[in-house]
Amino acid sequence: MIALSVAAVLAVFLLYSSIAGGGTPSLRPSSLSGHSGKVSVSGVVLKPVTGDAHGAGLRFRLRDKNGTAAVPIVYKGTVPDAFKAGGDIVVDGRYANGVFTAIPGTLITKCPSKYTPKQTT
Amino acid sequence: MPELGRAALVVCFGLALYAVVAGFWGAHTRRRRLSRSAQNALVAAFACTIVASAVLLVALARSDFTFTYVAQHTSRELPTPYKLASFYGGQEGSLLLWLLVLTGYSTAAVLLDRKAGRELVVWVVPVLGVVAAFFSMLVVFVASPFHTQLANVDGAGLNPSLQSPYFQIHPPLLYLGYVGLTVPFAFAMGALLSGRTDERWIVATRRWTLAAWMFLGVGQLLGAKWAYEEVGWGGYYAWDPVENAALMPWLAATAFLHSVMVQEKKGMLKVWNMLLVMLAFSLSLFGTFLTRSGVLNSIHSFTESSIGPWFLGFICFVVAASLALLFYRLPMLRAKTKLESLVSREATFLYNNLLLVALCLTILWGVTFPILSEAVRGEAVTVGRPYYNFFFRSFGLPLLLLMGIGPLIAWRRASLSSLKRIFFGPTVFALAVGILLIALGAGSSLPGLIAYTFSAFVAATIVLEFARGTAARRTLSGDSVPRAFTSLIARNRRRYGGYVVHAAIVLLAIGIAGSSAYNTSRSARLGPGQSLKLRDYTLVYRGVTNTRSANAIEERATIDVYRGGSRIAVMHPGKNDYPVEQQVSNEVAIRSDWLTGEDLFLITEQVNGNGTIDFKAIINPLVNMIWLAGLVFVLGSVITLWPDAREEQRLAIRYGRLARAPEPQA
Repeated sequence: MIALSVAAVLAVFLLYSSIAGGGTPSLRPSSLSGHSGKVSVSGVVLKPVTGDAHGAGLRFRLRDKNGTAAVPIVYKGTVPDAFKAGGDIVVDGRYANGVFTAIPGTLITKCPSKYTPKQTT
Repeated sequence: MPELGRAALVVCFGLALYAVVAGFWGAHTRRRRLSRSAQNALVAAFACTIVASAVLLVALARSDFTFTYVAQHTSRELPTPYKLASFYGGQEGSLLLWLLVLTGYSTAAVLLDRKAGRELVVWVVPVLGVVAAFFSMLVVFVASPFHTQLANVDGAGLNPSLQSPYFQIHPPLLYLGYVGLTVPFAFAMGALLSGRTDERWIVATRRWTLAAWMFLGVGQLLGAKWAYEEVGWGGYYAWDPVENAALMPWLAATAFLHSVMVQEKKGMLKVWNMLLVMLAFSLSLFGTFLTRSGVLNSIHSFTESSIGPWFLGFICFVVAASLALLFYRLPMLRAKTKLESLVSREATFLYNNLLLVALCLTILWGVTFPILSEAVRGEAVTVGRPYYNFFFRSFGLPLLLLMGIGPLIAWRRASLSSLKRIFFGPTVFALAVGILLIALGAGSSLPGLIAYTFSAFVAATIVLEFARGTAARRTLSGDSVPRAFTSLIARNRRRYGGYVVHAAIVLLAIGIAGSSAYNTSRSARLGPGQSLKLRDYTLVYRGVTNTRSANAIEERATIDVYRGGSRIAVMHPGKNDYPVEQQVSNEVAIRSDWLTGEDLFLITEQVNGNGTIDFKAIINPLVNMIWLAGLVFVLGSVITLWPDAREEQRLAIRYGRLARAPEPQA
């Protein structure tokens, strides 16, 4: 009985490593350089936010939460309600030639922690 | 006033500590009066928590900004219902609500379940006391809701996204669920401590577990509906850690509810049941920890949070102490019978449990993986939606199938001929549905097709069970069909209530598969008069209007919806701009087609200066089945929960027998 359940759990881990192969690294803007694959980056949005997310792309710089290093970001697609300069966001994409090109529609805002328990998204 | 609240919580903390010490000592030395006094201390702790909560509610209602908590979470012009709901809008109040629900449950459980046997209850009281002491310690010393300050002119207000009727109902239901799992846990620990390891603790807590499980389930569905209507991305569940935090204990509790039946009937799986109830309770603590400690942002914010380390310590203590206790009592928990065949009711229960626990643990792994990888490698690695979807399908679909097989298969050992007889009809029906669906073009999604075929199978078995039962009652009593049907359910509430819950899960599966596997969407930039075609809908954009409401600027697009040449609706997706809070919120427009259960979901993503809009339209087929599933789920749960005189009688006879039987030494 217990052996069975342990076996099931082990199988789960094997399956996990075989399909996902590790997931997406989530990084701070300052540690982006050197990562050429798909990563997710989180940080604070800096002013000014220019461009058009449904046109050529929304442009802004993203700064480390505790620091000053920042990278330019280009993003297309749905912009969440809570997106604004000074807010915390996470976005997936690739970093090349000093610019982080986001995958369309992957931008998520992080809610201030005091609200997290009640927000169901 | 804040002094009264503070004092009440200090007294509550003292009473909880007393319940622990006096409870353990009284139970250990078998002093009945001391145990009784520990029980009374728990009841008094409930009274104190009520006083403290009332103080906070009054302060919230009166906008008394000398309370830091009130100033931080409400503002003067906030409507009163939201002022009151802000009780759990922040950390301190949420912890107070935990304590309130916990002491309330404890009081009710101890008073109502006395007949479960005094030897058991005397040990349950100190366990409940430990949990109550932990939470009252938090609200007294670490995160007091009664901090005071010089009154502000106005408070900081409530986040606009929380200003929704769902905010008044979703969090309390989740708390009723989370905290309710404490009761079966405490009884399980009581059983281990007292050495009364027969199934009495399970019988005594069946309804408590069911109620907590129902609240947790409904709470989550309401949360999903809230997200669907308010957040405006067209979905209802995003595998967010905060959502998973509630799903995990629910899955563990679902496994527990099933496996205890095997212990009740067969005396098997005793250790497993203990492990499951520990898992469910630890996960409910872990869920509170996840949402409360800030660990989700980063490990570093966790160490800054005031309650995070306390919570982690308490979870470790609970896990370590309960496991140690379980090992100590292991010799008493040997199964009376062995599994005889892999094709039997017991075995399907076992598969169901393994799948549920595996699903629960993979979600747990996904939630903790970023935290663990950050701790080990200094770099958080997140697992995304594909990870969760993969496991949800690989464990969820077999679970769905088992739901049709398990309840019908014989205990002990099922013969091949009986399997043929029972499952021939449903299998044929399911295959026919499958073929029909392929013909209709549902083959575009294999998981969706499998989900529907399995759903058809389970639905057929459930209908057959009701039909068979009703027919049997008719031949027995000669009643009319409706009477035979209702008396069938009334006489076997647990069984047929269970089937109703299963039917709800089938509806849920249909809704999830329909809206996730077969949804379609298109987006475009539209100028006035331009249109967008989506399947058989034609959406014509007419223009944007701006109106000012009390605290927001409301921007609404006008969209004419045509289908089959005639205009069937005018919809107004838009945005609200809250200048004070400096927030924008998406106000989506949803049109539900009650005949087909599908939603047309419109989002105005962006309003441009030249009068054009960036617009997105989604068709979510069958999504309304999910909400219908919620109603059926509650109906089924209530049927199984409903007091049953016949069951009471059976149990009374059984307890009488157990009481006379020699008990194993403690």
